[in-house]
Amino acid sequence: MSEASRRIFGQALAVLFALMLGTVVIIIVGESPVRVFATLFEGAFGSPERIAGTLLQTTPILVCGVAACISFRGGLFNIGVEGQLFMGGFAAVLVGIYIPLPPLFHVLLGIAVAMAAGMAWIAIPAFFRARYNANEVVSTILSNYVAVLLTSYFTIFIFKRPGGWSETSQILPSAYLPEIFSFSRLNWGLVVGLVLAVGVHLYFRHTPRGYAVTIMGQNVKFAEYGGVDIRRHIMMVLLASGAVGGLAGGIEALGVHHRFMEGFAPGFGFDGVIAALLANGHPIGTIGTALFFGALRSGSLLLEVDTNASREIITVIQALIILSVSAEFIMRRRGDSMAAERRWKF
Amino acid sequence: MCGFVCGSGAGVGYAVELKGVTKRFGTFVANDRIDLAVRPGEIHAIIGENGAGKTTLMNILFGLLQPDEGEIIIDGRPMVVANPRVAIGAGLGMVHQHFKLVPSLTVAENVFLGMEIRSGVFIDHRAQIQETERLSRAFGLKVDATERVGLLSVGIEQRIEILKVLARGARIIILDEPTAVLTPQESRELFQTLRGFVSQGMTVIFITHHLEEVMAVSDTVTVLRHGKKVDTRPTAELTKNELVQMMVGRSISFDRRRRETVTGDTVLSVRDLWCRDDRGLPALRGVSFAVRAGEVVGIAGVAGNGQTELAEVLSGLRRASHGSFRIGARDLTGASPRMIRSAGVAHVPGDRLVRGVDRQSTIAANILMGSQNTPPWERRGLIDWPLVRDRSRKLMERFDVRAPGPDTLVKSLSGGNMQKVVLAREFSHDAPCLLVDQPTRGVDIGATESIHDEIMRQRADGRAILLISVQLDELIALADRILVMFSGEIMGDLPGDDVSEESLGLLMAGVRTEPEEAAVA
Amino acid sequence: MEILERLFNVALIVATIRTTAPILLVALGGSFTTKAGIFNIGLEGQMLVGAFFAVIGSVFTGSAWLGVLCGVTAAVVFALVFVVLVVTFRANEVVVGLALNILAGGMTISLMKAIFGTRGSIVGQGIVGLPPVRLPGASQLGSFGQLFSGYTPMVYVAFAMVPILIVFYQRTRLGLHIRVVGEKPEAAEAQGLSITRIRYIASLLCGVLAGLAGAHLSLGYITMFTENMSSGRGFMAVAVLIFSNGDPLKVLAGCLLFGFSDALALRLQTFGFPSYLVLTVPYLVALTALFALAYRSRPRIITETMDSMKRLLRTPARPPDTTRTGDR
Repeated sequence: MSEASRRIFGQALAVLFALMLGTVVIIIVGESPVRVFATLFEGAFGSPERIAGTLLQTTPILVCGVAACISFRGGLFNIGVEGQLFMGGFAAVLVGIYIPLPPLFHVLLGIAVAMAAGMAWIAIPAFFRARYNANEVVSTILSNYVAVLLTSYFTIFIFKRPGGWSETSQILPSAYLPEIFSFSRLNWGLVVGLVLAVGVHLYFRHTPRGYAVTIMGQNVKFAEYGGVDIRRHIMMVLLASGAVGGLAGGIEALGVHHRFMEGFAPGFGFDGVIAALLANGHPIGTIGTALFFGALRSGSLLLEVDTNASREIITVIQALIILSVSAEFIMRRRGDSMAAERRWKF
Repeated sequence: MCGFVCGSGAGVGYAVELKGVTKRFGTFVANDRIDLAVRPGEIHAIIGENGAGKTTLMNILFGLLQPDEGEIIIDGRPMVVANPRVAIGAGLGMVHQHFKLVPSLTVAENVFLGMEIRSGVFIDHRAQIQETERLSRAFGLKVDATERVGLLSVGIEQRIEILKVLARGARIIILDEPTAVLTPQESRELFQTLRGFVSQGMTVIFITHHLEEVMAVSDTVTVLRHGKKVDTRPTAELTKNELVQMMVGRSISFDRRRRETVTGDTVLSVRDLWCRDDRGLPALRGVSFAVRAGEVVGIAGVAGNGQTELAEVLSGLRRASHGSFRIGARDLTGASPRMIRSAGVAHVPGDRLVRGVDRQSTIAANILMGSQNTPPWERRGLIDWPLVRDRSRKLMERFDVRAPGPDTLVKSLSGGNMQKVVLAREFSHDAPCLLVDQPTRGVDIGATESIHDEIMRQRADGRAILLISVQLDELIALADRILVMFSGEIMGDLPGDDVSEESLGLLMAGVRTEPEEAAVA
Repeated sequence: MEILERLFNVALIVATIRTTAPILLVALGGSFTTKAGIFNIGLEGQMLVGAFFAVIGSVFTGSAWLGVLCGVTAAVVFALVFVVLVVTFRANEVVVGLALNILAGGMTISLMKAIFGTRGSIVGQGIVGLPPVRLPGASQLGSFGQLFSGYTPMVYVAFAMVPILIVFYQRTRLGLHIRVVGEKPEAAEAQGLSITRIRYIASLLCGVLAGLAGAHLSLGYITMFTENMSSGRGFMAVAVLIFSNGDPLKVLAGCLLFGFSDALALRLQTFGFPSYLVLTVPYLVALTALFALAYRSRPRIITETMDSMKRLLRTPARPPDTTRTGDR
């Protein structure tokens, strides 16, 4: 068996193991595992509408996953995708409401601003990581909390829709990201996500900068020796990662919700990060894992309705999968990878 | 607590005997049927160059390594020393080269690490301090038992390591390159201490490459070379030159290469370069030299005398604390690795596993490093992988890299082949200046010959080559001039044509020929 | 002026002490793993399960203290999973820590729905909270009495842990060994100490304190459990640990800073400042501290002066480690 297929086989075993553990959890919660899994499957794929719903959930997970992949590739951990998504979504909504433009331009501007917002949000943690080696795991996680709080504040106190509770006005129709089918809110964001995943993959494989980042993520000392400007590349990687996180938010805002509200797209950022982890940082693999998580999410909506189990059962299953796969090899502590350095111990 | 057997006296039998000890690492024979006999109550020095096998031998004695063949006999009893604990139980103690002290702990805490004196649940610090002070007085090793180790000088750290060994009841003490980190004054104090040990009936073995010390303090000296024992003689019977002769010997395996005279302009010029190592200690102290186009300048010296730092400063991986260097007319002091590379410097690093390759990548990806932004490797914004692979294939052939193809992962290559990949990459950059650090370490003899061919070819093409190597025969074969580094300074500049290994050996061992320099102890 | 008086008074100090307690407990717990050389980002999850299972235990046994025991057990189990995966299976610490946090979040909500049938929060339901401790003699201090008396037990435990841990690290064998394993593992190995065993113990101790912290959250002042109750305190503790390196006194200082900003934030809310903005304060303080300390610990560049060069040339310098390039 080749190295790659042996790895995938090992991962598959770990996933199976996690599902078994998940079965135990389901039993503890007092439900029948068969019923739960069947409901999940039906909820995810049971009808064309449901399939579209799955793809709808997959889109932000995929885009966030690609954002995480970008950072992992450089040996960095951007766990702040959630916050970047929120900022991006909020910025896109503001553009959608207050800057009227002809339809195509409006959408493009909204998307661009969303990406800029995500980039701006990660800029300070990125700077301190690049220049002063400040741990980006903690700084990006903490900034998530700030992002959620800030956007909520602005939504409720400044941009609130008159007569509404905790949401903004609707964006103008010219800012809508068009739907693909009539029966669902599934929009072209999915295509953007797929193209992005493939594009990022190709970028890392075929461009000089992508090559430099890849090597930096695998052996930073070698990259430095070879002439790669480590600080600049760290900045680039994290800013790009933040921009894509913002993009995810923009897609959600302009394609799905058409406004911003408290509790906007919760959890997609984290789901994206773990989808990327499960795919070991590979953008194309992330398409698969994001679809898997999207199906779980979609199915869990039916789960909540039809059974006694709560939606969060799938979170448990996701976490169990990550745990059992991490024992296998997810970004194992390799001697020369940046992620493994003890830079957080002073 | 721990008992000290005083005055066991030099009587019948040896304190330590090694018979026919052999140790192999793969195909490399580190120790080749070595016999060693150390009498009780003597100071026995083991001397040899880099790679002679000294540390390996002592690691075997102390249980850190297991011999492939041979016997170990301690105090007349044959033993299998399976781990350091067995060795300690047999009365051995080893003071390593790299101290294993915990900076935030006090002296006493370090001495008693792993065998803390307790009163109830708590550590009895006072008892530990008292006992440490007692040992300190008994053996003349002045330390402040309450001081934190992180604040202490290296010389005192060594005393603590010795105290650790004594606290565990050692009667046979092994020291690995003890004076490598000491000032002359501290070395003198150490020798006094060692003589004190011996007068109390203990036995001392120490490993060194410093001739002066061997002459000054040892009773007997064993010379190792290339894994074999050359001889064991009472020190009093030998002169320095005889010792060097034995150390360095008629080991020339390479003939001096025929060459054209050097006629080129100066490419690399280094002026009064100073730098610090990772601990903040000075590693380079005022180094100046120049390398001309078409010239090979060799840097000789025992590893750890500043050569690595020199290569790091010249390649931009380390900052100089003073001084400058230029390539041609361009001052590159403080420049980044990228700028230095684009100024025309290629670097074969000494620690190839860390700096020289990325083991997770393919050979082709490794070869690409440094060229990924220059055409034709890069074309219209994309890497031309077919071209990269093709060039890699050709380089693999030219440098005889034994692997299935350019898509082989580097981590599956042998050390020698990895080194060839590094050379293949760096030598193919057409750089006017080459920094080459230990090019043939871990490489077999046939490949070494071809690497030497390649170096001479680069020389003939007019490149300026700085060749850092711990192997004298390699330098004598290839270099036009040889500079000897010791303690971060250049001790001498000898012509490659007319140099003896003895004269190099003396300089490498810190013996200056100028009379006004104070020789070590 | 009056506003300032109303803002900064004894009650604020009391509030600070109360809000500092959980962060302090979990950070001190994290100090074990930090000092042992492990980056444990799973503190948040350990605290959360501690809080949840403390409530469960309290409801099902009717006793607050048994609830605390339950909570601690749950946190210890999480800590055990963490250390097995990270130390024995050599998995990536960040990944495992994050996954455990996610697991904690999902698990607590799922079980909450399964057992109590509700989402959001568990209130009432027979939760027995921890009783406040009244110190004798406190009433004689007048309004200052509340500075010392009337807190729930975990607060006292939290602050008592500071001197206890100082003694632990300085004067017990285990504490010393934990420090050695984190600071210089080679020294530990050379003396025959088992790095694995010590890291396991450190992780379990961490779980105990994190569990206590969680129990304080749900059985302390507010006797309830809400979704994601820990709301980032575990991460703030991680931030404290990064720049204190696990030193108990520095941890105390850092936690007091965050506790204060937390308490201040709550106070400001009662003054009409919007809660969302005010709630960002602790996180912003943590971020600022993180960045400031990273800046402060940047490597210094040494430049030789005429004096230093003269001095160094007079005595032959000590060459650095002689086997950098491999004497065997």
